[in-house]
Amino acid sequence: MKLRAQLGYAGAVLTMVAALLAPFVLYGSIAKGVASLGLHVDEVYSSGPKIRSIQQGAYAIDVHRTVSPHMLQREKPFVQLDWTPVSALPSHVTDEVDVDGDGKPDVLVSFNVSSDPNAQLRVDVEPLSPRFEAVKNAGKERYSRLIVRVDDSILVRIPLAH
Amino acid sequence: MEVHALYGDALALGLASGPACLAACGPVLVPSLLTGQAGFLPNLRTIAIFLGTRLLGYLLFALVAWQLGALSSMLIKPHPQLIGLVYVLMAGVLAWYGYAVRRNCAGNCSTSKLVTIGATVDASGGARQGIAGVAMLGFLTGLNFCPPFVVAGIRAAELGSLSGALLFFAVFFAGTSVWFVPIAGLGCVVRNQALITVARMTMALVAVYYLALGLYMLLGR
Amino acid sequence: MAANVHPWPLTGPVQRGVGRSILLTLPIVLWSLLMFGRPGAHDDLKTGLAGGITALFMIALFFMMMRTGTTYRWRRWFFVSVGVLFPIGFIHQIMVTRGTMGIPIEEMIAGRTPFCFLPTPLLILPAALTRTIIFPGSILPGKGMAGGGIAAMIGIWLAITLVIGKGWCSYACFFGGIEEGVAAIPKRAKIRNIDPRWHYLPWAVLLAMVLLSLALFEPAYCMWLCPFKAVSEYVAARNTVGLIQNAIFIVLFAALVIVLPFLTKKRTQCSFLCPFGAFQSLFNKISVFDVRIDREKCHTCVLCQNACPNMPLTKESIAKGEALMSCMKCGACVDVCARHAVSWHIKGTDVGLKPERARLMFLYGAWAMAMMFGGSIIAQGLATIIGAFA
Repeated sequence: MKLRAQLGYAGAVLTMVAALLAPFVLYGSIAKGVASLGLHVDEVYSSGPKIRSIQQGAYAIDVHRTVSPHMLQREKPFVQLDWTPVSALPSHVTDEVDVDGDGKPDVLVSFNVSSDPNAQLRVDVEPLSPRFEAVKNAGKERYSRLIVRVDDSILVRIPLAH
Repeated sequence: MEVHALYGDALALGLASGPACLAACGPVLVPSLLTGQAGFLPNLRTIAIFLGTRLLGYLLFALVAWQLGALSSMLIKPHPQLIGLVYVLMAGVLAWYGYAVRRNCAGNCSTSKLVTIGATVDASGGARQGIAGVAMLGFLTGLNFCPPFVVAGIRAAELGSLSGALLFFAVFFAGTSVWFVPIAGLGCVVRNQALITVARMTMALVAVYYLALGLYMLLGR
Repeated sequence: MAANVHPWPLTGPVQRGVGRSILLTLPIVLWSLLMFGRPGAHDDLKTGLAGGITALFMIALFFMMMRTGTTYRWRRWFFVSVGVLFPIGFIHQIMVTRGTMGIPIEEMIAGRTPFCFLPTPLLILPAALTRTIIFPGSILPGKGMAGGGIAAMIGIWLAITLVIGKGWCSYACFFGGIEEGVAAIPKRAKIRNIDPRWHYLPWAVLLAMVLLSLALFEPAYCMWLCPFKAVSEYVAARNTVGLIQNAIFIVLFAALVIVLPFLTKKRTQCSFLCPFGAFQSLFNKISVFDVRIDREKCHTCVLCQNACPNMPLTKESIAKGEALMSCMKCGACVDVCARHAVSWHIKGTDVGLKPERARLMFLYGAWAMAMMFGGSIIAQGLATIIGAFA
C-alpha cells in the first residue's frame, strides 16, 4: 500500500479512537483546557468582581469594581452595587453609598422592595459626587443603568458621568 | 507638562487604543482589502490611504469643532443625528464600493488597481477617474466617534491651542496606526472569484447594518 | 425521470444479510449500553424508558444502514427526530426553570443563559484579544439554565468536530433537522434553479458577523440573525430594538427553515445563512473522510447535485471529482448515484477503492457521536413527552 494510503487509514483509525474517547476523556479534557485559559464572561453582563462590602445593620451593600466598555460597546462605564440579603431589607431603602472608599458618600440610592419577587423594581440615584450620573425611575433599560433582583440580592447599576 | 512627556502620552494612548481602533474599522476595512489587489505592499498602500483620509476626517472635525468652541462638549455628548448621518453615508459608500468592485474587477482582481467609485465618462469620451473607495471609507470612519477618538480628543482639547491639539491628535493617531500594519497580510490571501464574491457580500451585510443603525440614530433613538 | 426528482434507492452497492448486519451493528449496541445503560444514566423510570427507546431507535437505524448499504434516509430519520424533539425538551426545561422563552436580563447578569454552539466562531477574536467571552453565560457549570457551562459545550463541540468535521451539520446540530424534515415533505422541488453564488453567502455572514462582533463586543449573529431563536429562546424585548430583533428572527425562521426548504427541497438556512456551518467547513480540511466522484463511472447526470441538501456539488467540482469543503457528509449523493460513481473516501487512498470500508469507518465514529449528543437530546425530548402523559 502506498504511504499516503497508509497515512489515510491511520488517520481514519485515529478518528475512530477519538470517537471512542470523546465522551470519557476527550470532551472533558477540552472543557478543562478551555476553563483553564483564564477567560471570563464580559463584565458588561456579569459585572466586575466584588471589591468591598459595606455593612448596613442586617444587610450589606457589596460594591463591585467599575466596568468599562470594550471596543464600540454602547454601554457607559458603570458600577454595580448589591443589596443583600433581600429578606433583611426594609420596604423602602434609602442609602448613601461611599463607592470609592474615600470616606465620603458618592451616591444616594432609593428604591422600594416588594414582597413579590417578580415585581418590577424602580430606582432613583442622586449623585453626591460628579463622577456619577443621576438615575430617575430606572427599571431595566440598559446593562449600565438598571435595578434587578437576582436570587437573594437586589442589584443596582449606576453609570459613570464620563 | 514637558512637551516630550505630553506627546509621549499621546503615543502611549494611541498604542493602547490601537486594538479598539482596529476593531472599529475592521467591518469596513477588511472586506475592502479583500476585494482589492493581492500582495502585502499593495494592501499596505490601501491601508495607508484609508488611514490618511481617516486622519483627515478626524482633523477636519477637530478644526470645525474648535472654531465653534465646542470640541469638548461635542466629544462628551455627541449628537446622535450627526453620527447617524455618518453611518448612513458609510452604508451608501460601502454599497457603491461593492458594486464598483464588480465593474472594476470583472471577476479577477489580482492585477487591478485601487477600486474607485464615481468614475464616469465625460462628453469627449475620456474616462474621469473616480475617488478611491477606501479614501471615502477612511474619511467617513474618521468622522465616526469611536471611544479612543473621544478620549484622545478630550485630552487634546485641554491643551488650549489649536496647533497643539492637532499635533497631539496626530501623534495619537500614529500610535493607533501601528496596529493596522499586520492587516496588510490579508494581501497574501489568494484572490479569486469566490473570495471577491464573499467580500462583496460582506460589504453589503455591513452596509445594511450601518444603514439600520444610522436610520435608528437619525430618528433620535 | 425529471432531474429534480430523486427517489431514494432501497439499496446501495453493498447489501448484507441479516446475520452480517447484526454483527456489524454489535459495536453500536455496546456503545448504546455505555451511553444509555450505564448506572446513573437515568434518574427515574421516565428517563430510563426514554433512553431505552432512543437506544433501540438508533440501533435499528444503524442496522438498516448496514443491511441496505445506504446512509441518507436512515440518518435523516435520526436527524429530523433531533430537530423535532430538541425544541420540545428545551422549551419545556426553560418553562419549568424560569417560566418564559424570553431571556430576562436578570438571567443574563447571573450568567444563566445556556450556551449554544452557533456563536462559537464569533467568540474567538474577542477572547484572543481581551480574554473575554462575549456571551452572558457561565464558563463553568452553573445554576438554572447555565447547564454544563460554556467550557463544556465547547468541549463537546470540538470533540465531535475532530471526529467528523462538518459532519456536525448532519449528525449533531440540533437545529438542522427541522429544515431537513420540511425539505423531505414535497415530492418535487418547486424552485429548481438556484444561482450557485448563493452558497458563498454563509461565508460572507461569517466574516461580517466576526468583524461586527469584535467591533460591537456582542454576539452579533445571536442579536440580529439567528432564525432558531423562534424555537429555543431569545432576549426578552425591553424596547423597540428588541421587538425588531424578535421580528427578524421569526421572519428568518419562516422563510429559511420552513418556506424555502419546502419549495427547494434544500436546507436553505444551512446553505445560505449559517455562519457556523461555514466555520465548520474549515474542519473538513483536517478530516480524513470525504466524498469523491469516480470520473470514469460518472456520466454527469447531476442527480447527486439535485439530491444534495446543501450545495457543495457544483458542475466544476463534479468535473474535478470532488465535493466542495461545505460537504456535510450526509450521504445523499452517494445513495442516489445509479452508477455508484459517488462514494465515501479516505484521503490518501484511491477513489472508488473499497468505498464501503471508508463508509463503515466514518459511520462508526459519526454514529457514536450521534448517539452521545443527538441521542441524549432525543431521550430528553421523549422523556418530556412521556412525562406529559404519565
